[in-house]
Amino acid sequence: MTLNPLLPFLMAGDPSLEALPGLLAEARALGLDAVEVGLPHSDPIADGPVLQAAAHRAIGRGATPRRVLESLAGLTDSPDLILFTYVNPLLQLGLDPLLRLLEPTPVRSLLVVDLPFGEEPGFEAELRAAGYPMVPLLAPTTTSDRAKALLGQRPDPGPGAPFAQRFAYVVARLGVTGAGQGTDLDPVVARVRDLQGITARPLAVGFGLSDPASLRAVRALGATPVIGSALVADLTTGRPIKACLEARLV
Amino acid sequence: MNDAFVLPTRFGAQGLGGCYAPETLMQPLLDLEAAFRAALDDPGFQAELKAELRHFVGRPTPLTPAPRLAAKLGLKALYLKREDLAHTGAHKINNALAQALLARRMGRTEIIAETGAGQHGVATAAACARLGLRCTVYMGVTDMARQAPNVARMRLFGATVRPVEAGQGTLKEAVNEALRAWAGHCTEAHYILGSALGPHPFPTLVRSFQTVIGEEARAQVFEQAGALPEAVVACAGGGSNGLGLLIPFAGDGLRRMAVEAGGHGRALGEHAARLDGGRMGVLHGCRTLLLQDEHGHTAETASVSAGLDYPALGPELAALVLDGKVEVRRASDDEALAAARLLCETEGILPALESSHALALLPALAAEGAATVLLGLSGRGDKDLSTYQSRLEL
Ligand SMILES: Cc1ncc(COP(=O)(O)O)c(C=O)c1O
Repeated sequence: MTLNPLLPFLMAGDPSLEALPGLLAEARALGLDAVEVGLPHSDPIADGPVLQAAAHRAIGRGATPRRVLESLAGLTDSPDLILFTYVNPLLQLGLDPLLRLLEPTPVRSLLVVDLPFGEEPGFEAELRAAGYPMVPLLAPTTTSDRAKALLGQRPDPGPGAPFAQRFAYVVARLGVTGAGQGTDLDPVVARVRDLQGITARPLAVGFGLSDPASLRAVRALGATPVIGSALVADLTTGRPIKACLEARLV
Repeated sequence: MNDAFVLPTRFGAQGLGGCYAPETLMQPLLDLEAAFRAALDDPGFQAELKAELRHFVGRPTPLTPAPRLAAKLGLKALYLKREDLAHTGAHKINNALAQALLARRMGRTEIIAETGAGQHGVATAAACARLGLRCTVYMGVTDMARQAPNVARMRLFGATVRPVEAGQGTLKEAVNEALRAWAGHCTEAHYILGSALGPHPFPTLVRSFQTVIGEEARAQVFEQAGALPEAVVACAGGGSNGLGLLIPFAGDGLRRMAVEAGGHGRALGEHAARLDGGRMGVLHGCRTLLLQDEHGHTAETASVSAGLDYPALGPELAALVLDGKVEVRRASDDEALAAARLLCETEGILPALESSHALALLPALAAEGAATVLLGLSGRGDKDLSTYQSRLEL
């Protein structure tokens, strides 16, 4: 598998739901395998100020979970999507309506920030069986034994599956999402190397990455950098997504 | 179930509670559970906690008969469990102090807390001052305005008070921000959550540090009245004083009641009554009764009382209610204000607005035929003077 060079994060509904298909098509035209799409939530406890503000703008413009998924239905020129969300909106939709909404979309996996494995076992198993595995998250506080367990609980479907369903998400630093000021990459570099000794599946590294040098450093490890808050902030200035992404692909 | 924890993480027939936390916080929560279990088994910790509760907090707090109020309401006897007389003026210190001792045992040097009414913030700031821990308290800007005296008290105790501007500027946003801050500092900081809420092990931890209220009250009422009351009543924000008072009466076959904030109306957004208006959902790490819209977004809440102005009922109390073991009622802003005035006039005790919601249930209880009632007076009302002044036109 060739390295997916960048995993962008977009907040659905910010700047607007109408704009989302176009943004996704641009990402695909740049050859990106996958994009994380955030479902705006009222209480995003793992997000920093930029994504909090984006979520609240999106909710203010009516980007409900149902509308977000409906806006993704039938897209043909989109990368694979990873739905980034908190668990409550999914539970309130309910399993069957959620599966019906997901079915016509390019969503291939779910990244549920506040759902440790085992808390909603039936729900998670049904989603996996229907083709929507949960992305395992590995934090700076995750011990090596725990990482092994997490990677086993949410296993790699294997080389035949797309990146969106295979990768594990390495949280680069303690805290919440947000463009970090001078994030020290040494600790995460060491962690990625350790994790690569445990697993052969692709790794994405996110939280606090923004400048091209950090992104290159992650790529040099053979991992995919995630660009979230910095991209969302850029897009709100009206800068075209093509330019935003190209600047981070060098 | 999350098999890495040892203590039960779920409550009641519907499995409320759980640990819906971001991965960054999982190891800190596992470590906290382990430290809590070790402390419970350690006679040294128990002795230290007991001594601090006695000499610093002033426990046991009195059980005060309130005969003039009882007569006015048509009750035979009314007993008030005086958590307002605990140091810093509310039950919150029982938990804050115990968790601060636990944090020190764990080698943590920094404490993070959220606060609504400011009572938990003041209690945590005081405990940190006493134990030499650095303390940062997150508080919504609306609450900072309506509970201004408590902001000053926290600052006097050396705590940093961080205003939270987001949303309605109340307790929910303060918890959001405290959880975020903890995720950033979880290797050196302990988060002292102030109610029986949040991801496992917090609900269990907080409740077990609050049952001292009910244990004392049960012995005291036996001593004074020679019998148990017919009903035991507390107000319910997250549920810590409620569980603390009600749980020790579990085997006694009496009515156990909790009173939520009815605010100023019945529509979503006008109150904080989770039993009528809430549906099962996940907020702040636990599954429980939650005020939310159809999309799973947390609803706005309203209450004259900052400490009850929170969209989720703690999971253990919600489970007791759903399983039919505790009754929940609501009291409106106006009913709570009137009840506060009546207690002041008949007994010379100024209750917190939170506690006034429990008092507001008494006329209904008397009308239903209850003769003897024990009520948890969770806090004192000095912090609420400006609200009392304006709403009661003093
Ligand atoms: C005096 C007082 N009573 C009650 C509460 C409500 O909290 P809980 O339901 O956890 O007891 C508060 C919270 O701030 C409080 O300050």
